[in-house]
Amino acid sequence: MTTGAAIVTEGLGKSFGSVHALQDLSLRVEPGEVFGFLGPNGAGKTTTIRLLLGLLAPSRGGATVLGERVRVGGGPWQADVGYLPGEVAFWPSLTGRETLEYLARLTGRPPADRAALLDRLGLADDDLRRRVRTYSDGMKQKLGLVQALQCRPRLALLDEPTKGLDPLVQQTFYDVVAEAREHGTTVFVSSHVLSEVERLCDRVGMLRAGSLVFAGDVAQLQRAQRRRVTAAFASDVDASAFEHFGSVVASTPRQLTLLVAQSELPALVARLGMLQLADLVVEAPSLEEAFLEHYR
Amino acid sequence: MSVPVLLTHHWRQHRLALLWLIVAAAFFQWAITRVVPSADQTAFVREILTLVPPPVRVLLGEELVANVSARGFLGFGYVHPFALLMFAAWAVRVAAGALAGEVGRGTMDLLASRPVTRGAHVGAGAVALGVGLALIAAAEWAGTAWGLHSRVLENVAPADFVPLAAMSLLLFAACGAVALLVSALSDESGTAISWCAGILAGSYVLDYLARVWSTIGFLRPLSLFRYFEPQRILREGGVAASDAAVLGAVCAVALLLAFAAFARRDI
Repeated sequence: MTTGAAIVTEGLGKSFGSVHALQDLSLRVEPGEVFGFLGPNGAGKTTTIRLLLGLLAPSRGGATVLGERVRVGGGPWQADVGYLPGEVAFWPSLTGRETLEYLARLTGRPPADRAALLDRLGLADDDLRRRVRTYSDGMKQKLGLVQALQCRPRLALLDEPTKGLDPLVQQTFYDVVAEAREHGTTVFVSSHVLSEVERLCDRVGMLRAGSLVFAGDVAQLQRAQRRRVTAAFASDVDASAFEHFGSVVASTPRQLTLLVAQSELPALVARLGMLQLADLVVEAPSLEEAFLEHYR
Repeated sequence: MSVPVLLTHHWRQHRLALLWLIVAAAFFQWAITRVVPSADQTAFVREILTLVPPPVRVLLGEELVANVSARGFLGFGYVHPFALLMFAAWAVRVAAGALAGEVGRGTMDLLASRPVTRGAHVGAGAVALGVGLALIAAAEWAGTAWGLHSRVLENVAPADFVPLAAMSLLLFAACGAVALLVSALSDESGTAISWCAGILAGSYVLDYLARVWSTIGFLRPLSLFRYFEPQRILREGGVAASDAAVLGAVCAVALLLAFAAFARRDI
């Protein structure tokens, strides 16, 4: 295993009976980066995070977190890890403050960022004096974020962190992640909200049915995708004459839409220039399109 | 470091229930001292007991029926279903809540992602279980002592019942350890509670049936309740070392298995 990285997995896999929840995941997340882990429900995102925390025993392969080999049951390195579960649950009879205090004491580090996080996320003293059973889902999610980040972890594993948060609080969350990163925290975010990952992350990994289908920069992912080219003509054209450039996704006698690999663009533009071109639009794919292309 | 924090959490979650169980256990044993027959009433009570159907006499204890005495009646109070229920309620509540309850609720995710060993969770559960059982056992004895302080009975001293309270504690420490093992293997507190209650009830019923039905008498040693016989303890003036050893061994083995199972399982 390579040291120095915040997270390294090598051939990591997990099966539940005959179901392969995660297969042969090899990944490296560098210290200080914000890494997005994308995939639809059931792709294996949560399983990966639980394997990284030692909550699950891997069926194959292994992982290193903050330079320590992950074992079932965890270890002292967990003091440096903050975790927000995908389905966050608390003790209904405890107040918000008791919950945060209890979890900070178990972490064994002072909750250096608690006050700032509570302030940013809008959890007031009155809220913290109430029992968690009276909290809305959004408040529980905020409490979950605070408990994950309050002790200024070196690594934050956040599973669907903005679930249940209204758009204003989501914006605050993005700011909180940016600040955490400034403090040197590595953030590993699982999500299926593409715009969120696009906005937050330096790099992204995409999972499909338990297998990693892409890992790299967000920009690299977008570059790797085909461009959407829409050309309008002053006279009728034959769409079949363009099929060898890429996929024709829509055509009328005077308008054509194609998906074209970046490498094919110069040849396509040259060919279009020979025709009576009325308009030409070349669009870079959004992350959403890139995502959908991987899952088609 | 983490075990005291976990114990504080157990205390916060269970203190009210524990208080009720302590009060109920003490009050029940005190109430028994109010209703036991005095020396001049024993002949009458013996006559009444001869009319009781044999299966019920077995439940009361053949020795008690044969030698009706205030000590015997007070001893029966320690195996009365109500008294047993106080211990069982604590054992099942704490054991199921400590592990399976946290897993089922989803809060074990938060706990297990902290630098707290799985063993610390089992250990804290075991300590909470033991302390609660000890307090309930002490409350039982205190109830008897309190009753005997205000109602003096011939040849009956509060100290006679210390071994009964101690064996109650040991019996339910063994039951609680088994419950903790079940909890360590379960994903939901409901499942753990069902299994634990089933095992305890099954063990109790097996002991009873093995006493009334000689055909299955050989199965009686399989029941934990076989190893706690108040009438014998009162007659012999102390606990049989073999009975205490069996209960102690069951407790130790079940705890070790609980530690091993919880340390290896997926959460």
